[in-house]
Amino acid sequence: MLAFIGRRISIALLILFGSSFIAYNLEAYAGDPLAGLAESTAPNKGYLIATLTRELQLDVPPPARYFLWLKGVLGFLTGHFDLGMSRDASPVISQMATAIPVTLRLVTGATFTAIVLGITIGIISAIRQYSRLDYVMTFISFLLFSLPVFWVAVLLKQYLAIGFNDFLGHTDANGNPQASIPVEWIIGISAILGVVFAGFVSGTRNRVLITWAATFVLFSAMLFGISSTNWLLNPQLSIVGVGIMSIGVAVGLTYVLTGFENRGALKAGLTTAGIAIVSYYPFQFLAGPSTNAFMILGLGLVSMAIAFAVGWFYVKVDRGPVIRVSMFTALFAGFFMLVDRIMQSWNGYFNSDAINRRPIPTIGDSNPLLMSNDFWIQTLDGITHVALPTMALTLISFAGYVRYARGSLLEVLNMDYIRTARAKGLGERQVILRHAMRNAMIPLTTLIAFDIAGILGGAIITESVFGWKGMGTLFRNAIGNQDLNLFMGGLVLTSFLAVMANLAADLLYSALDPRIRIGKK
Amino acid sequence: MAIKKSKKDKAESTTVGENAIANRETEGLSQGQIIRKRFFQHKPAVFSLFFLIAITLFVYSASGIHLGTEHNPINYQGWWHYTILDLPDTTLCGEAVGCPTLDHPFGQDNIGRDFFALVTRGTEISLMVMVIIGFLGGFIGTVIGAIAGFFGGWVDAVLMRFTDFIITIPTILIGAVIGFRVGNLGVFVLACLLGVFAWTGLARLVRGEFLSLREREFVDAARVAGASNFRIIFKHILPNAIGVIIVSVTLALSGAILLETALSYIGLGVQAPDVSLGLIINQYQDSFTYSPWLFWWPGAFIIAIALSVNFIGDGLRDAFDPRQRRRIKRKDFVLVAAKTRPGK
Repeated sequence: MLAFIGRRISIALLILFGSSFIAYNLEAYAGDPLAGLAESTAPNKGYLIATLTRELQLDVPPPARYFLWLKGVLGFLTGHFDLGMSRDASPVISQMATAIPVTLRLVTGATFTAIVLGITIGIISAIRQYSRLDYVMTFISFLLFSLPVFWVAVLLKQYLAIGFNDFLGHTDANGNPQASIPVEWIIGISAILGVVFAGFVSGTRNRVLITWAATFVLFSAMLFGISSTNWLLNPQLSIVGVGIMSIGVAVGLTYVLTGFENRGALKAGLTTAGIAIVSYYPFQFLAGPSTNAFMILGLGLVSMAIAFAVGWFYVKVDRGPVIRVSMFTALFAGFFMLVDRIMQSWNGYFNSDAINRRPIPTIGDSNPLLMSNDFWIQTLDGITHVALPTMALTLISFAGYVRYARGSLLEVLNMDYIRTARAKGLGERQVILRHAMRNAMIPLTTLIAFDIAGILGGAIITESVFGWKGMGTLFRNAIGNQDLNLFMGGLVLTSFLAVMANLAADLLYSALDPRIRIGKK
Repeated sequence: MAIKKSKKDKAESTTVGENAIANRETEGLSQGQIIRKRFFQHKPAVFSLFFLIAITLFVYSASGIHLGTEHNPINYQGWWHYTILDLPDTTLCGEAVGCPTLDHPFGQDNIGRDFFALVTRGTEISLMVMVIIGFLGGFIGTVIGAIAGFFGGWVDAVLMRFTDFIITIPTILIGAVIGFRVGNLGVFVLACLLGVFAWTGLARLVRGEFLSLREREFVDAARVAGASNFRIIFKHILPNAIGVIIVSVTLALSGAILLETALSYIGLGVQAPDVSLGLIINQYQDSFTYSPWLFWWPGAFIIAIALSVNFIGDGLRDAFDPRQRRRIKRKDFVLVAAKTRPGK
């Protein structure tokens, strides 16, 4: 095993060496960094050219210069890691250090949302193979598969940012701000949502129609309430909303994960939801304007520990599912409380001078004019900026997960051991959750490992459309400005991660599936 | 033939095995016929195939055929009465210029170019790039994967490390080298160069297929009969792996059109004066508020092409891969029961 890892790592290093050598020379060949200066009319042109030549060692031919660069990179062995200087005479490492957090903020959320959402929908689609839902999801996933991200991004900017901001900017006859949704919109949205939910149920036509009608009435009432109370201008969930939603989640999770026969799970979930409701006001006290991310993280860990304990003490046997229900309930309840807390800052954010009643921005990663020390307003600013790019990235990348999860689960469901599980009388829930899904998810680990490693590569097009200065923009600018060292810095990081992900995927695969033995012929 | 769905029928149907149905479906047909039959049962795929052919014919006939180099062009003008070089007068409509009219069904851009001519020409180029990338990548990937998988050992190790090596070179760099240094050599060269780097996924897939197929008896039989390695690879094993290859190349085609449009969008793909759908979207994205037609049409063509290619790929996968075939419905059981009952 160790020999295998060692061999793979040494081969990986050789590949990295080769590809970085080729990329270095290709990029050096792609353009002359002095071309811009040679055409300039600056009086100190000669001096500028000489300085740049000296700093970037341009007098050395590229193949030889590569080894000078490599010497700096290999410096990490002796503690003098150096990726060289970029064209504006700042170290490449520091430029990357500013770009990486931006990219992480942009791509991490989208990647994980796409993974969770895509796998969930893929599983549902596979369980209901050749149902109406499956056909609709297949079509949607193909459609999203075929969307160019720049096209989606422009649409999102137009309708969700500009359109939504215009909508929030409306005032009534007296000049008071109002956010009332037109009646035809309420009817239209409810009707469409009704179709979506009716698509989820299968069965007789009556059942579908009843589902559609119920959804339609429910959402019409909700949207009407939102519209008439100007909820969008002053949104809140309050203790009532958080309470109802937490209890709903507890019941729903129990139904999906264990079934109502498991009384212990239901009780544990409801207890956790109860604890969440009780801690609503203490949380408001703890999460004041001057709080920080570590505090919130700490509270999250405490709530997870409490949820674990609740699950642990309720039952004596088969604790796993009960603890899972309890902890997921706590996770959702905590999320609702966070959302509620952020909503409380909405009014202040929305009416501040920097925002001026246009809350959804189309470019940038933060609003530089926003002068506020309020942690929640800062958080809200981050969320409004990240919302659209995240949505665009999630939309185009989650379709792949739907297809893979569906295909993989279908393959597993045809296997003999699933037939055995059914034959010995296990419920469908047990068969899917405990027997089929665990094996079906193994092939997906490769995909997930690559996507997570790819996060730091940034999203060149999305970043460029939304004006974020992350790794994608760094790459693009480096190529456009013939900034060789900067380009190589980004490339070394991403290709190193890609090679490592390849190795990690192989190791993970053999750990999850003992039938696969790596390093053996 | 009327089938009575009586209770007796259903009870009997459950005793008929799945094999009977599988056999009935394929009785007396060759492998190619079975695959064709299965493909034509996949309605979205068949519809997409005709749709794609229709788009291609429409676009090429409207815009004409443009080959050759800048100095030595070979042009056949299509039936559309404007070219991308014409600058007809624009009319003002509301806050925008060049709204769609009968004369200009897709509208005009701000300097008056007919947008129908632009979009059809862009689609033409994007389609060409897509096909070149797909087939060149498909060819190289198949050959490298086949050789690696068939010979194994050090050949396999070297070729697969070479594949890993190509994977780490970013596509955007190839676009940059062509765009900034080589200059605009035209779309054909760009497509070929992109295709030369777009075979890695397929090579791994084909290699996997070959690794398992070369252990089968028919390969030994062929070798005993004195077939050369070349013959075994291309005459014996490749036809057995062709399903995987066709499906994967089809899906790579939809990836290729998205790659080309994305590269053109960020300015590293097709360069002006050539047009491509990605380039058109890049040029007109800021005019969305006043002239939305400049944005909708090129996007609609990209999506239409990519979507139909994806559906065709899905149909081919179903046709080639019987493991993912449809679950057998009760209706089929009844049919088989009716057919296999003696004296009926």
